[in-house]
Amino acid sequence: MTAAGQGKERPIDRIAENPFFVLGARPDATRVELEREAQKLLGMLELGFPEAKTYATPLGPRARTAELVRAAIATLRDPYQRLVAELWARHAPPHLTAATAPDPAAPPTDRRALAMRLRRALGWRP
Amino acid sequence: MFVLPYFLFQKFHQLAIDARRASRTRTYVAYAVLAGASAGVMLAAGLALSATLFVYGLWWMSIFTILFMVVRPLATLLIRHVAVPLGWMKVAYYLGAVFASAGKDTLAYGYVVAAWALSRRPSGVGEAWLATQRASRRPLGDAEVAMTALITAGRGDADNARLLMRSTTMMVEVHPAVRELVGEWLAVDAAARGAWRELLRDATDATFPATPLTFFLEGCATRQLGAAGAPGDRELWARWLLAPHRRTTRALRDAACAVATADPSTASTTGYEDVAQPTSLPDAIAAHVALGVDPTLASRTRFASTVTGWDRALDDADTRAWLARRALELEAPLGSADRVIRDVTAMVVDDLVAIADAAKLGAPVATGRLGPVGEALSRRLRHGRLDVLEAAFSRWADRRTNDDLDDKGRQAIDEWREFVALHAAYTTACEAGGLELRRLAFPHAFTTGNHMAAWLWNKREEYAMSHAISRWLLDEALAVGDAEAIELGHRNCALEIPTRLGRIKIG
Repeated sequence: MTAAGQGKERPIDRIAENPFFVLGARPDATRVELEREAQKLLGMLELGFPEAKTYATPLGPRARTAELVRAAIATLRDPYQRLVAELWARHAPPHLTAATAPDPAAPPTDRRALAMRLRRALGWRP
Repeated sequence: MFVLPYFLFQKFHQLAIDARRASRTRTYVAYAVLAGASAGVMLAAGLALSATLFVYGLWWMSIFTILFMVVRPLATLLIRHVAVPLGWMKVAYYLGAVFASAGKDTLAYGYVVAAWALSRRPSGVGEAWLATQRASRRPLGDAEVAMTALITAGRGDADNARLLMRSTTMMVEVHPAVRELVGEWLAVDAAARGAWRELLRDATDATFPATPLTFFLEGCATRQLGAAGAPGDRELWARWLLAPHRRTTRALRDAACAVATADPSTASTTGYEDVAQPTSLPDAIAAHVALGVDPTLASRTRFASTVTGWDRALDDADTRAWLARRALELEAPLGSADRVIRDVTAMVVDDLVAIADAAKLGAPVATGRLGPVGEALSRRLRHGRLDVLEAAFSRWADRRTNDDLDDKGRQAIDEWREFVALHAAYTTACEAGGLELRRLAFPHAFTTGNHMAAWLWNKREEYAMSHAISRWLLDEALAVGDAEAIELGHRNCALEIPTRLGRIKIG
């Protein structure tokens, strides 16, 4: 569960891919409750239930896959990993700024083109 | 009848231009109008004389008169509006070198306007010609750097062009006409990027003499930022009327006029944001996530506040007690609570280092004892940046001892490019790392820079370049308080510098 292409895990990944959020479980859920939830979700994903295909996080909804569910329950079986996951799940504020880059007033490529046009119009390059 | 008043007006025209270059107040407009009026008189005198000569059958003298009395006052206009847009490099060169009144060393101005024309219509042949001319002009001066910057701009490399343009300020040799063009390129570049603050700084410091276009753009920047001394609507209109490309700049004028003139007493002077200090773990997480959305926009204040927030949250007794209790309940291995804190700290520091590098920020200045995040972050940023600088200084020192090229085979501009790149890296690292990193980095800069300056002066006879390095080292020595380096720097900087404009002695 690491950020794509980065190798190192970031705090934002700890929230977006938190096992508790993936399973849709409370951080104080018992081991039995977590196992039951994982099995239920795997079954629903197998049958293609639309409500199982996404899960809620403070950063907005994310896509849920069977691999993600299996990885989440495996993480929570390890007491130390569960402690870490609980720390992030329990303390993450309910709503955070979206993790994707904000949509600026104009996309950078457009701004660059605009800057180039102005330079050229004023007699300079590039 | 025509010649004497013509030369008087030519002198008057030059005086008006010199006065305009030294001014950035309302008198600029007055001097610019005077310069324009005197050019008009010169043009009329030239036309009248050539017509008289033609009528009396002296047509060959009439041609000379047109060339030297009519083309002369029109030279800068012809360069800007004809030769440059059409990419006529050689025409621009002759107009600049022979006809434009560019003061001493008119060839320098010729080469720069030729490079300007080349940048509009790049060609391999033109670039080769300019490179040959540049190589033949030794020692290197501001004009050679400016023409290289324009060639680079022509290739579409705005970042390196900007760096080279700005580096001319380190050169002791000053061709006012060349500096005007450099200032205009930077002003247009800043306006195109919307970097009004950068433009305002150049205007306030009077870094470059202003062309009418630069003066207008500086007025727009002052109005956009609501800074003190912003021109009123009428003055901005006057600046706009003086500047070329009025159809393009109309939109900029209207946008600037739409911004009300600020009351200087209410203008912000600190530039700091009012950021709430995170105290709990949820606050620290929220601040961190907000910071990571677009690291390049992370401000120094927000970054410092996030670091302090993490330190407080991870040091919080309640958080630690909760972790210890949960570790027991979950039957986690012994010491898990401390290990969690260590792992979270390491992960947070890794991410903050990446954010600091992207936003070119330094470790926050501690007012008290640094926490685990602040301490690890400071260490990582300092060492990472020092390593990069050390490698760069070693590469620079290798150029002096590299046997692959003999001294005659080396291009002076390549040495300058290397120095400018290193200077930029050093400045960025020191801005981010603060005085502590500056003190650690200075001995590397001093040792290598000093050897390079001596080599450039003694063996390569590149006096202006050598002086620029010595001046930089002296400024740095003064900043870090290195007494030995200050003494040596003063001795080196006191040397008389031979340039094409004469021998220059500083201080």
